[in-house]
Amino acid sequence: MSTADLLRRQLRDFAAAAVIAVLFASCAFVAGRNSDLAEHQLGLASRSVDQLIAGGEALPTVTGALVAPATPSVAHPYLRHRQLRTPSGWRDLQPSEKWMYDAVTRFDREGAFTELVPDGTGRAIAVRAAEETTAIAITSPTTPAPYPFLVMIGVLGLGLALTAAGSLVGGRAANLGALAGIAALAVPTALWHAWIATTAIALVAAGVTLAQHARLTDRLSDGLVRHRTALGFLMPAMIAMFVLVAAPFLIGIVLGFYDHSHNTWTFVGLANFGEILSGGGKQLDDPLNFWFILGVTVLWTLANVILHVTIGVALALVLSRTWLRGKGIFRMLLILPWAIPNYITALMWHGMFQGEYGAMNSILHHAGLSGVSWFSSWATAFSANVITNTWLGFPFMMVVALGALESIPKELYEAASVDGASAWQRFRHITLPHLRPALGPAVALGSIWTFNMFNVIYLVSGGAPGGSTNILVTDAFHWAFERGERYGMAAAEATIIFLILLLWTVFGNRVVKSKDADA
Amino acid sequence: MAMNRKPRLAFLIAAHVLLIVVVAVVLYPVMLVCKKAFEPGRDFALSASPIPTDVTLDHFHDLFDKRGGHGELLFLRHAFNSIIVALATTVFGVAISCTAAYALSRFRFPGRKAGLTTFLVVQMFPATLLLLPLYVILNKIGLLNSITGLVLVYSTTAIPFCVWTLKGYFDSLPRELEEAARIDGASTWMIFRRIMLPLARPGLAVTALFSFMTAWNEFIMADTFMTDESKYTLPVLINSSVGAFSADYGLFAAGAVITSVPVMIAFYVLQKYLVGGLTAGAVKG
Amino acid sequence: MTRPGLLALLAVVACTGACTDAPKPGITLWHSYSGAERTALETTAAHWNTDHPDAPLMLVAMPHDGFADKVTSAIPGGNGPDLFIYAHDRVGAWAEAGVLEPIEFYVDDARADRFSSDAIDRLAYHGSLWGLPLTQKALVLYYRTDLVATAPATTDDLVKLAPKMKERDGFAFAYSNVDLYGHAPWLHAFGGTVMDDTGTLAIASPEAANAMAFARDLVATGVVPANADNPLEASLFNAGRVAAVMSGPWFATDIRKDVPWAVATLPIVSPTGRPAAPYFSTEGVLMSARARDKDAAFAVMDTLTSDAAAVTRAQIARQVVPNVHAWDDAKVAADPFLRVFRTQIAHSVPMPKTPVMRMVWTPYADALGEVISGRAEPGAKLNNLQDAIQKLK
Repeated sequence: MSTADLLRRQLRDFAAAAVIAVLFASCAFVAGRNSDLAEHQLGLASRSVDQLIAGGEALPTVTGALVAPATPSVAHPYLRHRQLRTPSGWRDLQPSEKWMYDAVTRFDREGAFTELVPDGTGRAIAVRAAEETTAIAITSPTTPAPYPFLVMIGVLGLGLALTAAGSLVGGRAANLGALAGIAALAVPTALWHAWIATTAIALVAAGVTLAQHARLTDRLSDGLVRHRTALGFLMPAMIAMFVLVAAPFLIGIVLGFYDHSHNTWTFVGLANFGEILSGGGKQLDDPLNFWFILGVTVLWTLANVILHVTIGVALALVLSRTWLRGKGIFRMLLILPWAIPNYITALMWHGMFQGEYGAMNSILHHAGLSGVSWFSSWATAFSANVITNTWLGFPFMMVVALGALESIPKELYEAASVDGASAWQRFRHITLPHLRPALGPAVALGSIWTFNMFNVIYLVSGGAPGGSTNILVTDAFHWAFERGERYGMAAAEATIIFLILLLWTVFGNRVVKSKDADA
Repeated sequence: MAMNRKPRLAFLIAAHVLLIVVVAVVLYPVMLVCKKAFEPGRDFALSASPIPTDVTLDHFHDLFDKRGGHGELLFLRHAFNSIIVALATTVFGVAISCTAAYALSRFRFPGRKAGLTTFLVVQMFPATLLLLPLYVILNKIGLLNSITGLVLVYSTTAIPFCVWTLKGYFDSLPRELEEAARIDGASTWMIFRRIMLPLARPGLAVTALFSFMTAWNEFIMADTFMTDESKYTLPVLINSSVGAFSADYGLFAAGAVITSVPVMIAFYVLQKYLVGGLTAGAVKG
Repeated sequence: MTRPGLLALLAVVACTGACTDAPKPGITLWHSYSGAERTALETTAAHWNTDHPDAPLMLVAMPHDGFADKVTSAIPGGNGPDLFIYAHDRVGAWAEAGVLEPIEFYVDDARADRFSSDAIDRLAYHGSLWGLPLTQKALVLYYRTDLVATAPATTDDLVKLAPKMKERDGFAFAYSNVDLYGHAPWLHAFGGTVMDDTGTLAIASPEAANAMAFARDLVATGVVPANADNPLEASLFNAGRVAAVMSGPWFATDIRKDVPWAVATLPIVSPTGRPAAPYFSTEGVLMSARARDKDAAFAVMDTLTSDAAAVTRAQIARQVVPNVHAWDDAKVAADPFLRVFRTQIAHSVPMPKTPVMRMVWTPYADALGEVISGRAEPGAKLNNLQDAIQKLK
């Protein structure tokens, strides 16, 4: 390989590795900067309070004061009057000193605290008891240190120089040069004591060197060049998929390992998954137990898919008869439920099942039966959901089955008739085998849709009674938005749902394929 | 009973009667809603009859006359929001997906099969699974309660869907024209831009309409992410008219009729593509 | 579509997206008022806006369903309003979660004495004040004057209406019986409670079981419909299929114009001889902990709860306002509707505001559903309920 080629190759690999390394270093910088800043501010506030207690002044840039005990109002004990100590004596609080008033009130209730003000200004506040008063200090807003562009450009230059020098020498030196050049990027992270990032960059350097040794980088680069047109065409969708689908997806998985309360996230490991899978200490028949909900979800999916397929295929068989009059009109009217937006369908059925005088109960009254209060027992509420979803979902199966039936050659039936096959035999040996390949995927798709049919459950029964008709997706939603923002639980449950679906898809695919092989 | 032979008369009548009964069951709820849209009163079906006893346009009038905090006409505002969100989702989704769909259909490259599977799986799985992370992210970057945020959210479903259906359409187009053009020295981009895109126009139109309908019909994300009354979409308006504390089914029915009719027309025009696209994807995957 | 056409479309979409998303200056207030309450609020807001063009008040109306949940998730993320209107029962939970801003710094005795103390005290929690009261709400008895000549004084009077109403395919009266709020009048009349004076859970008691049995028997004997909710009550009342409805002030807007009606305080519960005592709630305007300009936000709160604004609300929306001097207004003092509500509130039990209460509403409603439909015995069910909620704590 000529020196020029070698130089080009080494610089190419360095550039690729540098992009990754700079990404790591930047993450390390931002994380380190924020925690350093917080520590610094908290320290300032805390030391100022110490000084105030000792009778001194707050540190420069920190506002501090000693606040007198409150004198509560006689009529309304929660209204309190407070005063502030100044060198010239006591004075009333100014309108701009509400934060002091509130901080001392909180101190009276909860005791001493030192924390960051949760308003994004980076201020820290400390409150502690002083002799007969309360000492309080708050730091000024700060702006975080700017990104060290010069440092980064410097180390990138250094790395580039090392790589180039190695390539010019050639042989072993080329590899060593690249190794040293990439490793040089770990110098700033080491100086920031960001050990994880430092290790990661060192690993990248080692990895690139090894890959060069095995000619992997060359092969990868050749591949990219060869398929550059395809890559260019794919790029917009790939970027969008990464940003819009992959990133939220990964974040969702990560969130499952955190607990969220009062707007703070705490890492809890597998606790959320544990709480969900163990049923949260609830009985198996408790509507909030995961296994109960899973059972309901499976039952819900099975009931619906069976009803969709049976009704859909039965109607398709009738509709495909040539002697049928008004076929087009029947077909058009029967597809109607699919054409209506499903939230409207769900709300409409919710109205029909509602109360003593909903349409369903009116019909029952007309039939001489007594009304049912649909959403007060599990069986009726679940049936209401299933009825709605059956109404909504059978047209899809019907249309799929119709398509499959129309593709069956007429000669097959004629030949079978000549051979004296009975109607059942013809159905069993001609119709059914032709329906299978089309219905298989439709069932797989339909079962996933039903498994996740959020709108029907949420809008028809809303989980009533007592959350017992919830399915997994609606339960996850309740965790997030209706049970005190337990985002971690919701994320963990979504991850579990995803795993179940993945298992089902893999398994379902296998079933469909083996059936295809039979046919 | 071969397909073409006429069965006995009794059977024939029974089959027709059965179908008519099924159609009646299917139509009944729809007729109730239509009845409610034109019948005075806020309650839903105190009588089971689907024929209105009294006809009025009050509900439509009320719906159009609903005003927001600044006196703006809410229904029109929400309809406008719905159209903007659905349109933006569609344009964004189709524009981003068409090149990728073409590449997946025509080029052979390592990782193609994995890519196809990913698009298929993502297309099948519901966006509700991503609801929480999307909420957290939008909250973080300040796009909660914004039309832009909603468009991005809907794109998570629209893009895989568009890629998958468009890829299927490109697969069905003949390759001869491209080969001829290539011999004439046209670049891949030129071929795509000048030959394939115009050829794929029907496929593009159908895909676009589907993504439009998906966004137009979406309810729970819009309901969760939007807080400002002036930024709601039609599904949120319709759902909020039948709340637990005050339900006005007349308003709901009027709104339901107006929002469903365009969707239903689009659906009937496109239904044969819809079935083909959905099952073709599943079969080949 | 041609390329220029596509670009133009994209530009239009991007532009409208940007325009509708632009943040607005001023004070934002979320509320779930509709109808006359909304008009009254908008009237006061309009006054504020002419006086303070630099800090305009923006009212955002939202559906009542899910309102509280939206507030809870939006405020900590910085997407919430500066102010919002809600009943006092969530104040405890919100104060503890850091959603609300304490406002006693701004309030002195003179300002607090503007309100009756049973109203403003409801908005205090943990030694701080979290809002200013706008109105108080409780259940009263609405009755159709064409079906009942005089207001039923006892529940036996109501029960006596049942045979006549049955002929009309109806019921003597209706109320939201599968709901603790609707059931509370009986609970208190029988001497039961949810929480005792010290704030400990006291759900299971013989008194509470008797109240539940009373509610069950009302349904079993066909006096009231099972599972009623507000929309159903309105339908039945308008159709003349119930003679009376136990409901709150919101019910008045659901009554059709051609229906003759009146209100009365709740009847005496015949088996106990004591009057039915509903919960009353105090609706207040509350400040978000993340309000941008807290001084201006408080100024808005002060204006919205001023005596003048209270008179506006009482006159336009017939709200039972807690401002003592608003009742000096001749028109307000003379309104029989307001008078009934005011009397009723004086004989009501404040809705508990401890966060534990949030875990009670739904399970209690489910228990009521089971007992009323005959699937559980009141005593055993209440014991279960108490245990289950204790565990949740």
